[in-house]
Amino acid sequence: MTGPNATTSACSSAAKMGRQRSKSTSGSTYSNSKPGAESATLSTPNNAGRSSGEEDEKDGGVLFYVNRTGFPIEGVTWERMWTHVAKVHPDGQDIVRKIRNAAYLPKHPVPPVPNFKPSMSVPDWLLAIQNYMKTLQYNHTGTQFFEIRKTRPLCGLMETAREMIRESLPIKCLEAVILGIYLTNGLTSVERFPISFKTQFSGNHFHHVVLGVYCNGRYGTLGMSRRQDLMDKALTFRTLSELVLEFEDSYRRYQHTLKKVKIGLYVPHDPHIFQPIEWKYLVLNAARLGREDMRKELEKHGRDMRMKILKSSTAQSPIKERSRGKSLSPRRRQISPQRRHVHRRDKSGDLDRWQSILRRKCVGEGM
Amino acid sequence: MEPACRKDKPKLNSTPTRGDRAKQKSAQQEQKQRQRAEIYALNKVMTELEQQQFEAFCKQMQSQGE
Repeated sequence: MTGPNATTSACSSAAKMGRQRSKSTSGSTYSNSKPGAESATLSTPNNAGRSSGEEDEKDGGVLFYVNRTGFPIEGVTWERMWTHVAKVHPDGQDIVRKIRNAAYLPKHPVPPVPNFKPSMSVPDWLLAIQNYMKTLQYNHTGTQFFEIRKTRPLCGLMETAREMIRESLPIKCLEAVILGIYLTNGLTSVERFPISFKTQFSGNHFHHVVLGVYCNGRYGTLGMSRRQDLMDKALTFRTLSELVLEFEDSYRRYQHTLKKVKIGLYVPHDPHIFQPIEWKYLVLNAARLGREDMRKELEKHGRDMRMKILKSSTAQSPIKERSRGKSLSPRRRQISPQRRHVHRRDKSGDLDRWQSILRRKCVGEGM
Repeated sequence: MEPACRKDKPKLNSTPTRGDRAKQKSAQQEQKQRQRAEIYALNKVMTELEQQQFEAFCKQMQSQGE
């Protein structure tokens, strides 16, 4: 993040309620946020005086817009961005006029795309990627410039990553995960997997996502956030639990309570596959699990991932591997395998940790 | 049709010429560059605002704590 560093040392208190998660299924249209949904949210004028501590979703009505029409940004989306800014900034109209009417604006240089050299170590490469994302900057404008639909096939998301590089604009956390996947594709010694957080502060829920990385026995993360300690972490953590608990400690500095952690599966390195990313293979209810139980679950998941015995429910063979003569349309999705929801609220009163089979709707793209 | 007739035949104006497409593309590029410049100018302002508000909030919480 190239914005000002968080004054975490000066602030032992919670960060203000922030904005929303950078994922949306809506276009440049406003949509109401719903708990747990991934819709765009719009900041209310009342939020103008509040600053975000970290990523958050549907913060009691905090919304953002999403550009769905590509580039250059079309009129409606563009005007909506400025209208939003005029509402939320104390000097709204002046700021808008000043920038939009400026005869000359400094040209923000387009950062060169990191170029992997065989002589680079993995930590150096991850640092180069993170620095690249920081140079793009965290997007504070209130309008997300790249639409990310989490259920899209990986190949489609990689196309969006290429667009992010081409257009070179500020990004948010979910976009950073997709970009991180794209830029680490091919480095097969590095495994990537999403880590999602749900936290609570002042009665509101916040969501955030980073890209977990695993290499040679060490874990780390890539990502973007308003706060420095909620994004990239060096490849130094010996276990997945150490990494996740580090995030929990970071959140605690902002008086955010960790409610849920969702760990996905390793993302395949083939950027052309039709399979979507598995975002939440393991779901931990941090509110109910003790720190020790969470550690055990995370370490088990980490081991299972390393042994590569976990399969996504959406895994299917690439089209090119299918036999001739057979239909090339995507296979009908099977019932998803048992996902692990640890300490999910059990209405029957049963304290069994394991959740029964989830059926998940498959949303794919035509090819 | 005689070649001469073909030459004289008025050209349908529904399809853009290569020159038109090039101009359109150039205009789009300029618009994108301008939008990018405005976005980064805006992001600078909004980042500063966010940081100011965060610091103010932290100070407020600290003074309440004391």
